[in-house]
Amino acid sequence: MSVNANLGLVFFPAFDWAISPTHPERQERLLYTRDQIVEEGLLDLPQIREYKPKLATIADAERVHIGVPDLSSLLTDAHLVSAGGALAAAEAVMAKQVRRSFALVRPPGHHAMRIVHGTRGFCTINIEAVMVEYLRQTYGIRRIAIVDTDVHHGDGTQDIFYHDPDTLFISFHQDGRTLYPGTGFMDEMGSPNAFVSTVNIPLPPGTGDQGLHYVLDNLILPMVADFEPELIINSAGQDNHYSDPLANMAITAQGYAKLADKLGADIAVLEGGYSIEDALPYVNTGIILAMAGLDYSKVLEPDKGRHVPQQTEQTTAYIKKLVDDWRRIWAVRSEMRRHEIAKTGDMWRRKRSIYYDDSGIREQQQEEVRLCPLCQGYQTVGTQAEGAGFGYKSAYAAVIPRHACPACRRQAQEAVVAARRTGQYQFYFLQDKEKDLLEKV
Amino acid sequence: MLLGIDVGGTFTDAVIVAQGKMLAKTKTVTTHGDLLQGIFCAIDTVMSEAPGTIERVTLSTTVVTNSLVEGTIDPVGLLVIPGPGMNIAPLLPGKAVVLSGYIDHRGRETAKLIKQEIADAYQFFTDRSCFAVSGKFAVRNPAHELAVERESAGMSGVKHVTIASQIAGSLNFLRRTNSAYFNAAVWDKFRQFAAAVEGALVARGVAAPVHILKADGGTMPLAMAKCQPVEAIFTGPAASVLGIMAIGSCKGEAISLDIGGTTTDIALWHNGVPLFAERGAAIGGYPTAVRAFWLRSVGLGGDSWVRRSNDKLLIGPERVGPAMAAGGMEPTVADAMIVAGLADFGTRSLAYQAMKQVALPGRTPEQTAQEVLAGATDIICTAISDMLAAHQAQPVYTVNDMVNTKTFTPAAIIGVGGTAAGLAPLVARRLKIDCLVPDNGAVANALGAAVARATTDITVRVDTEQRLLTVAELSIQEKLSNKSVTMKDVRQLAEKYLADRSDRFGILPDEAETLYEEEFNIVRGFQTTGKIITCRKQVKPGVLTDVR
Repeated sequence: MSVNANLGLVFFPAFDWAISPTHPERQERLLYTRDQIVEEGLLDLPQIREYKPKLATIADAERVHIGVPDLSSLLTDAHLVSAGGALAAAEAVMAKQVRRSFALVRPPGHHAMRIVHGTRGFCTINIEAVMVEYLRQTYGIRRIAIVDTDVHHGDGTQDIFYHDPDTLFISFHQDGRTLYPGTGFMDEMGSPNAFVSTVNIPLPPGTGDQGLHYVLDNLILPMVADFEPELIINSAGQDNHYSDPLANMAITAQGYAKLADKLGADIAVLEGGYSIEDALPYVNTGIILAMAGLDYSKVLEPDKGRHVPQQTEQTTAYIKKLVDDWRRIWAVRSEMRRHEIAKTGDMWRRKRSIYYDDSGIREQQQEEVRLCPLCQGYQTVGTQAEGAGFGYKSAYAAVIPRHACPACRRQAQEAVVAARRTGQYQFYFLQDKEKDLLEKV
Repeated sequence: MLLGIDVGGTFTDAVIVAQGKMLAKTKTVTTHGDLLQGIFCAIDTVMSEAPGTIERVTLSTTVVTNSLVEGTIDPVGLLVIPGPGMNIAPLLPGKAVVLSGYIDHRGRETAKLIKQEIADAYQFFTDRSCFAVSGKFAVRNPAHELAVERESAGMSGVKHVTIASQIAGSLNFLRRTNSAYFNAAVWDKFRQFAAAVEGALVARGVAAPVHILKADGGTMPLAMAKCQPVEAIFTGPAASVLGIMAIGSCKGEAISLDIGGTTTDIALWHNGVPLFAERGAAIGGYPTAVRAFWLRSVGLGGDSWVRRSNDKLLIGPERVGPAMAAGGMEPTVADAMIVAGLADFGTRSLAYQAMKQVALPGRTPEQTAQEVLAGATDIICTAISDMLAAHQAQPVYTVNDMVNTKTFTPAAIIGVGGTAAGLAPLVARRLKIDCLVPDNGAVANALGAAVARATTDITVRVDTEQRLLTVAELSIQEKLSNKSVTMKDVRQLAEKYLADRSDRFGILPDEAETLYEEEFNIVRGFQTTGKIITCRKQVKPGVLTDVR
């Protein structure tokens, strides 16, 4: 079948799945969006073709994640369908059946990190990251840009690609000093070998369409163009909307639709967005029309005009300065990366703690990355997680990256064997991205 | 006695059925200039063969289809209330005047109609007498559509206004609008036709109720058909599918093939009922909300042209004439069937001649006939496997449906139509499943019409947070007396309203079935503040009696 539509739409509202009955991530979340999409007749347009999700496998998820003690005990079928929705969207584009695709699926994924102990920020596995690694494994794609337009910092996606210079991860979000997960500041730029391939743009509360599009036009679009990616992915969260109950931004459905139009992502994947009645039906209609190359100018929230807050002059000035600062950094990014590598030496190390709000866990991580001149460098992670009702779990993992040099491959294997000998952790893993394997050691 | 008439493109068939037996049948040529002439000729023939009291007359008629195809439909004054959203105007079959006003997805008015605009819109279409009005989310609250219709009262020259939400109770503004447009376009033509049929039947002393076959295989009483004639489109294939149902041979999962001269219509069956097209039929390329069986037509039949191009055998989809055995100029699939001993008509030697004409060097006519039949079987099997793949790829919206996907595994092929006896068994053999080619297949359409059950449907939606009950098809919106409504209550309400609607048109509401239901909690903050419950029911399509 070679129907060449403009947009492939994978719609999977998971009408029978919730984190808990009154949790924002519940059955009803995409109900009103379904109503709007079906009522508009969007699925009947020749420019749009609907796809059924696939069922992703645990192996697809383990291409990205290391679950402690294993992934299958931490996720539900809904997560595999949601990730499979992203895979189906990607396949439709790669098979050239459609020009772009949109996985309008739940549950979301962008807060899920490489190591998984439970659910954080409503996410258990990172569906975009699973899709990105699937694209690399199946189609040999290397350079990918991810633009995260959710109001919350995409800390999971950042974590997964923090050492990967082939992935440009750009996240704009409400400033972490005012919102979950409390990260995503400018100085988080990637480990030295991938320095400035992570770009965080923390925006002040109250940022509106004007501010967002200033950032897009003057920063994000030029950065993506400079990076020359083979594919552009949009983590299409919708909670920057002025009516979202969990955040404080002022973006409209038009603002989102224009963003989708200008960004021209090859594949978009839904993330958050919890104004399920007043925003999602209109934001999604706008994004779908824009991605399908159709007229979206008439998409407006019925309550608009009464409730949209105006962006203040102070905010406008703040954003302008933020963009200026970033443009200066971006211009000298190669020098900065060289400097960072030279300054760090052979191994880069960091320690941090990670908070799982849904599962009630606090995790401590110790990471090491070899700054290899020949490849991305092998990585190791030590993790200890604790929580009331959760107990205590610990693990150690070594990661052999794609295109690893022989030395990094050997040293990763040695690292996990050495760690095991100390007996310090409960579980030991070796993730071999080249052989597409996750081994329990 | 049940009288069934099928007005097809070539033949007008009539049958009389009583106590599970076909008492009379006839095939006459369709009189294209004046369809009624052929219809009454057929009626007179069967009635003289089987005299007695007719209890019901059912017509499967192409009046609607023909007037659409021939472009003899009336111009329609189309009034739409789209509110914000997709720009629908360029997608519609005719010029539409866009009115202000908006109803949102919960049925709440978020922008008002402007009275002057409505009057101006009727004025704009001053040369038209048939109108349609369609509003976004009118199935959640019909107030705007009804108000626009009411405004027509004082307008001179307005004969009819189709209210879209009464034609179709499901979400899909685009499809409802198209349905309403075509309904208004054929409304007057159908009314004239219905009056002529009623008059002529009375003149013959037939006092039985007249029903019209719908595309979904049910019938509707003439009174209802006069309101929603668009439902009478595409009834030919529906009748044939019903004929298969009446002959009663589709148990479990099965595939039916209606193999005619130039096309094969394929339908999938589950437990004796054909699968429906997911959202509705398309009319002239415009998607509508008209419920119809899911059929795939492939350009292959007995008259399909067989030729060779660069050693490659080509079959159909064109027809250049009848089989060479029957005096045609070019080889056909039927010629191959004759040579293979699967058909017996015309001049046998000419069929051999036809096969020689397309034979590869050194191959006999018999071998060539087998090659042609294998090619024809390929074409049908490819269409079947596409259809099965499409069925498998139909989106699902719950984790349960995703994880417990059932594959469609047909156990039998049922073949009807002129060429079925020859080709259907070959398809069945290829798929390694059973094959049935019932008798009476040739008048299956008229038979289907005769015994089809009258059906109708209803959509009840309850929003307990707003304390609202909505029944789209009946334009009902009322306050709920009780906030603690459950799914069970809504099912009962749906049955009651289905009975009401059936009763209004004299339909027996036996065997109601649920088409669709869903139930969602409405949560505000972290409190459950109400429920939205939807239940859609119909009188189950089926046959009044099996025919043996």
